[in-house]
Amino acid sequence: MFAVFGVAILVLLGVLVGTAAGIIVVRVGRRVRGKRRAALAAGPRRALLAFVAENGEEGSEDLIAIPDDAWRAALPAALGLLGKLRGDAHSALVSVFLHRGAARAALADLHARSAVRRARAAQLLGDLELREAVPQICELLTDRDHEVRVVAVRALGRIGDAKAAWRMIASLDLRDPVPSLLATQALVQMGRGAEVTLSAALDHPQARVRAVCLDALGLLGATGAVSRMARVLADDDILDVRVAAATNLGRLGARGALQPLIDSLDPPHPDALRAAAARALGDLGAPAAVPPLAAHLDDGEFQIAHEAAHSLRRLGPPGIAALKERDNDHCREALALLQPDLVGAQ
Amino acid sequence: MTVVLVADDDADIRDLVAFKLEQAGFEVIAVEDGQTAVEQARSRQPTLAVLDVSMPGLSGIDVCRMLRAEPATAGILIIMLTARVQEQDVEGGFSAGADDYVTKPFSPRELVSRIQALLSRARA
Repeated sequence: MFAVFGVAILVLLGVLVGTAAGIIVVRVGRRVRGKRRAALAAGPRRALLAFVAENGEEGSEDLIAIPDDAWRAALPAALGLLGKLRGDAHSALVSVFLHRGAARAALADLHARSAVRRARAAQLLGDLELREAVPQICELLTDRDHEVRVVAVRALGRIGDAKAAWRMIASLDLRDPVPSLLATQALVQMGRGAEVTLSAALDHPQARVRAVCLDALGLLGATGAVSRMARVLADDDILDVRVAAATNLGRLGARGALQPLIDSLDPPHPDALRAAAARALGDLGAPAAVPPLAAHLDDGEFQIAHEAAHSLRRLGPPGIAALKERDNDHCREALALLQPDLVGAQ
Repeated sequence: MTVVLVADDDADIRDLVAFKLEQAGFEVIAVEDGQTAVEQARSRQPTLAVLDVSMPGLSGIDVCRMLRAEPATAGILIIMLTARVQEQDVEGGFSAGADDYVTKPFSPRELVSRIQALLSRARA
């Protein structure tokens, strides 16, 4: 009995010692590999930083000539810089990547079985700002993997080619779409070239798509879309979309947005829309908005009177004069925010 | 020599910005987190600080507020360097007391120009 117990103890001890030794070997191995990789990467990384700091004016041949193993070791730094730089430094780094065949490999990886490889390839092509890759990256907007779709949206935004706008808008219609904010940002990065497509998409059957397009148009400052946005403000079936239209008309700061927003201040429009219109009139910055806003300082709905008061404050001297004429809590609160000490405390 | 504090937890960006600024003739203190940035700002009194917004522990915004709150460091010029590009992020940076806001992806050449412009305006 004791012999069996002793053997069991010995076996357990053996397993324990074996496992501990295995862990130590793996950790030491990792540390040694890490140090070797760091040593291998040190030279190329220095050359890379100097090259980028010099805006790529000299040193590209040295980087292109770096042996593959050393380049692989320095790749995380190179990829990190590529994603965070623009201008001459970025262009210079792109030329090094292209000379090393990175674009060709990434284009092939867009069709890889592994989602991680597809996502990495899309990210690299985006960071390279490779316009030729836009059609292939657009294919990933309907990828079965959510993360890959997200990376594809980011990559298309970074490339900023307006030709991808329609495909991106269409991808918002999926059952599991990309986040709205991300899509909005990418569409904005495509610039004014995407304006016509965004404007046309205001007739899209999906409310979410219409709201994203309104946000993108507002952030782009697409003043040419004012009348279409005003039509959405007046007629859309979905309240949230009308609120988005009001917010973005205010963001545009265009004269044509004034009357549609004033028209939305009164009943029978829903209160949420009336409040959004009051806020947007403050963003618009037109002194002509002062009388209609002042008329709502005693509105029965708290939010509308509150937004009207703060919009008047933002409109400057004529708005502030209107606040001083009226004496209620909303006016006092808005005027108090004009005191620098209170603003700092906020 | 004008002393510039660079705080960024990304070693590649930190080293690049430091390299570029040294090339432009500045003395650079490079640190990797917000707490060290505050300590270095107090002890070395740099003329200008380039702060990454997203750092572990104290963020660039926290550092900016702390520097502005202390008389000894309130006059340090501050440039926020960040990947956060939303309107409210930029607004948050300025309301914390930043003098300029540079978003990533950024151009190192443009960053140096902005630093030089900020310094010239401050001297004027």
